[in-house]
Amino acid sequence: MAAQANAPASYRPAGSLDASSALQPYAGPWNRRLAAHLLRRAGFGGAPADVDRIAGMSARDAVDGFINFPNTGSLAARPALQDPPVPPRGLYQGFMQGMAADAATVDARKAFQMQNNRTRRENLIAMQQWWLGRMIASPAPLQEKMTLFWHGHFTSSPEKQTSAQELLMQNQLFREYALGNVRDLTLHVSQDPAMLRYLDNNVNVKAHPNENYARELMELFTLGIGNYTEQDIRESARAFTGWTFRKNPDGTGSFYDNRNVHDDGTKTFLGQTGNFSGSDIVNIIFQQPAASKLFATKLLSFFVYMDPEPQLVNQVAALIVKNNFELKPVMSTLLRSNVFFSDRAYRALVKSPVEFVVGTHQLFGIPEVAPVELATLRAMGQVLFYPPNVKGWDGGAAWLSSATILTRENFANAMAQNPKMMQGADWIASAMRAMEPRTVAKTLTDTMLQGDVSPASTAQLVAYLGGAGQSALAELSHENVDERVRNAAYLTMAMPAFQLA
Amino acid sequence: MMKRSGFLLGAVSGLAVVANTDTIFSRALAESPLPGLPGGTDRVLVVINFQGGNDGLNTVVPFGMPDYYRYRPSLGVPQNAVLRIDDTFGFNPVLAPFKQMFDKGNVAVVHGVGYPDPDHSHFRSTEIWQTAHPKGYESTGWIGRYLDEAALPKNNLFNAVALSNVLPEAMQSKTADVPAIDALRTYGLRSDKNAGNKEAFHEFVRDTTVPFRSPFLAKVAEIEDHAQRGAEELPKLIAGYQTQATYPATPLGRSLALAAQIVGSKLGTRVLYVNHGSFDTHVTQKQTQERLLGDFANAIAAFYQDLAAHGNDKRVLTMTFSEFGRRVPENASRGTDHGEAAPVFLIGGGVKGGLYGQHPDLNRLNAGNLAFTTDFRQVYATVLERWLGRPSAPIVGGTFSTLAALA
Repeated sequence: MAAQANAPASYRPAGSLDASSALQPYAGPWNRRLAAHLLRRAGFGGAPADVDRIAGMSARDAVDGFINFPNTGSLAARPALQDPPVPPRGLYQGFMQGMAADAATVDARKAFQMQNNRTRRENLIAMQQWWLGRMIASPAPLQEKMTLFWHGHFTSSPEKQTSAQELLMQNQLFREYALGNVRDLTLHVSQDPAMLRYLDNNVNVKAHPNENYARELMELFTLGIGNYTEQDIRESARAFTGWTFRKNPDGTGSFYDNRNVHDDGTKTFLGQTGNFSGSDIVNIIFQQPAASKLFATKLLSFFVYMDPEPQLVNQVAALIVKNNFELKPVMSTLLRSNVFFSDRAYRALVKSPVEFVVGTHQLFGIPEVAPVELATLRAMGQVLFYPPNVKGWDGGAAWLSSATILTRENFANAMAQNPKMMQGADWIASAMRAMEPRTVAKTLTDTMLQGDVSPASTAQLVAYLGGAGQSALAELSHENVDERVRNAAYLTMAMPAFQLA
Repeated sequence: MMKRSGFLLGAVSGLAVVANTDTIFSRALAESPLPGLPGGTDRVLVVINFQGGNDGLNTVVPFGMPDYYRYRPSLGVPQNAVLRIDDTFGFNPVLAPFKQMFDKGNVAVVHGVGYPDPDHSHFRSTEIWQTAHPKGYESTGWIGRYLDEAALPKNNLFNAVALSNVLPEAMQSKTADVPAIDALRTYGLRSDKNAGNKEAFHEFVRDTTVPFRSPFLAKVAEIEDHAQRGAEELPKLIAGYQTQATYPATPLGRSLALAAQIVGSKLGTRVLYVNHGSFDTHVTQKQTQERLLGDFANAIAAFYQDLAAHGNDKRVLTMTFSEFGRRVPENASRGTDHGEAAPVFLIGGGVKGGLYGQHPDLNRLNAGNLAFTTDFRQVYATVLERWLGRPSAPIVGGTFSTLAALA
């Protein structure tokens, strides 16, 4: 019994893969359900009008619309960040030598430190609100979705005193390379100040090699355990010695290749020998078959379904290699494929907290993210710019616990009760005018769940709106319609389909 | 139409669980003996996390080691102020109520607890303590793995409870769904205050006869059901308890009062988790640390007084930990920076009180830090094997010797 309890649950969908046609373009019927599926996966769910618009196109044009990012110039390119405070002259004189300071200096240092911490905290809040706002409003949702994908893959966080400005640079890098070349992105990430700090390559020098970056680069970012040796880690760490950054006054950093502390001896790495630099290491890594398989698995698990079959992984890996790690043609094929639009992939993923929150904003047409929602996301288990560790967010079943679900439901309720909701969600307001429970229930379940609801639940929702049930609500009237419809919208979000992407 | 009992979960998924809210919480089930538990059937572990890195040196003060005062010229606790344990060690004076518990033999102090290759990041070091995994990344916590292993009654929603607003990583589990309760007042579905909403929610979350298949459908339905029922039932299940102590009016005091209530209501709860902090005392340490330690001493004394009044003090073990201790030399801001080893407390009627392990040598610092002398997994192994009655190796990832602090 204990063994059974410990068997890892597989969340691969039931049924079998049709490998021969999996990556062929989908040519079946096109409808609002599949349009919403595409919007949830390639974006965050979208507004009801987006679903209608995409359902009105061909599947091919719809995917093209996601892949070819439209101009996003209407969005704020960056959040307003405060420059890090500069300590008054001489404040830290003798500090490094451990010299005692007088009371006034102690107080001044304390004040400076508090100001510094406050700036960092406020900058991170600004960053989170800015990014969530972009996710909600961007006309290029796949660009933001890929940015989130890369953020969970090439993880960095404000730990190790990384500034908001440095994390913003990294975020912009992910956005720039959203569907770019994965090898090039990996090289840029290896030279990115936030990453150099996060995995300690800024202290990786010839005299004291630090293996942290080299290890995670192979274990988590590109190859996976079992595809390299400890010796490969040591040798590649030597190749990365001296890759560091210089701090700029505005809080950003610039990559700096410090040749003075670089180990320019001969290295043997994954069977090749030479005086390798970090760039050579990245190139050699991408010659390994394991690299394309790792990215294929990650993309499939994020966009299609968890625990994809090895056959499917191999097909996507071959596609990645064929395209020389250019992601745009790969994602173009994947997002228009039979397997992507199959019943097995449909609702086969759990919405991440970010998808849940952003999607709900889009649904109700509420563009602003209130600061309290950042705490809500934390309680749901996902803080942007704070992945839990180098491995990123596990996703899937890890999102689901009583604790996180209570937070999701209470958030859904707060959104349904939000005074701005009826203005943003004009589709609800117009359905309400009929004052007819059946019409309202159908609008809610069609718009919010694309009809993914049982006849029994639909009947119950109609009954709830009409005032039936044990609690004997009054019949729908002008007095109660607003409250009743808001509650019904919340209850529709409580249906299991709403948790699934 | 909206009948509440005997609703079949998961017609599509094939998950055949009859969720009957009338019997699922039966006391008989919750009180059934645990397989493999030595002696008792109802032992509880309470974990208190001193968040932010508590300075061990000013908690259990090595006043008999002259180097201590050399490293702590302004922050050192004066010899004549410490609450003496012996000629070398004494407690910080704000711990007076806790010292009384020590004197009664109900507190074990484990010196110098840490782990190899210490990480000075709060985030990473906390993760290491929570997952019991100093190398690599583990998605479950050590308590979570205990819950996976322990074969506790599957339909008891309160086998473990976090008294926090975010589920700690230590309680992440593959199989157990641990509720996180910040406060009873805010725990639960806000919409449930409306009876009609509550009823409808109850039915909708069970709706798995939907026109699609998803590998996660049954799981979502199960968790949503847990979330609602748990929040609905817990206040009722613990309502009969009479608190028999005066707790400090602080978050820790409130959490421990709730912990005593849950323990005393015999829900079958095996592990509770409480946060206390923040101890990150880089600047003017004395005020912050003494406020937090004083609060801890008052709250833990009230907790055991309350437990004892209900005959529960011997079945509750409390373990404290912090992600790291602090740098031995104080800094120039009358504070201390991130350090390494620190003491762990084991508290309760089942503890063999006293000092355990070796205090780290103040003459052999690890770049200004205390080198650990007891691996934190030894403490976990002790708690798992000698208190919760489970083999520790699969949970802490290796064989670690246990301490004699528990029988």
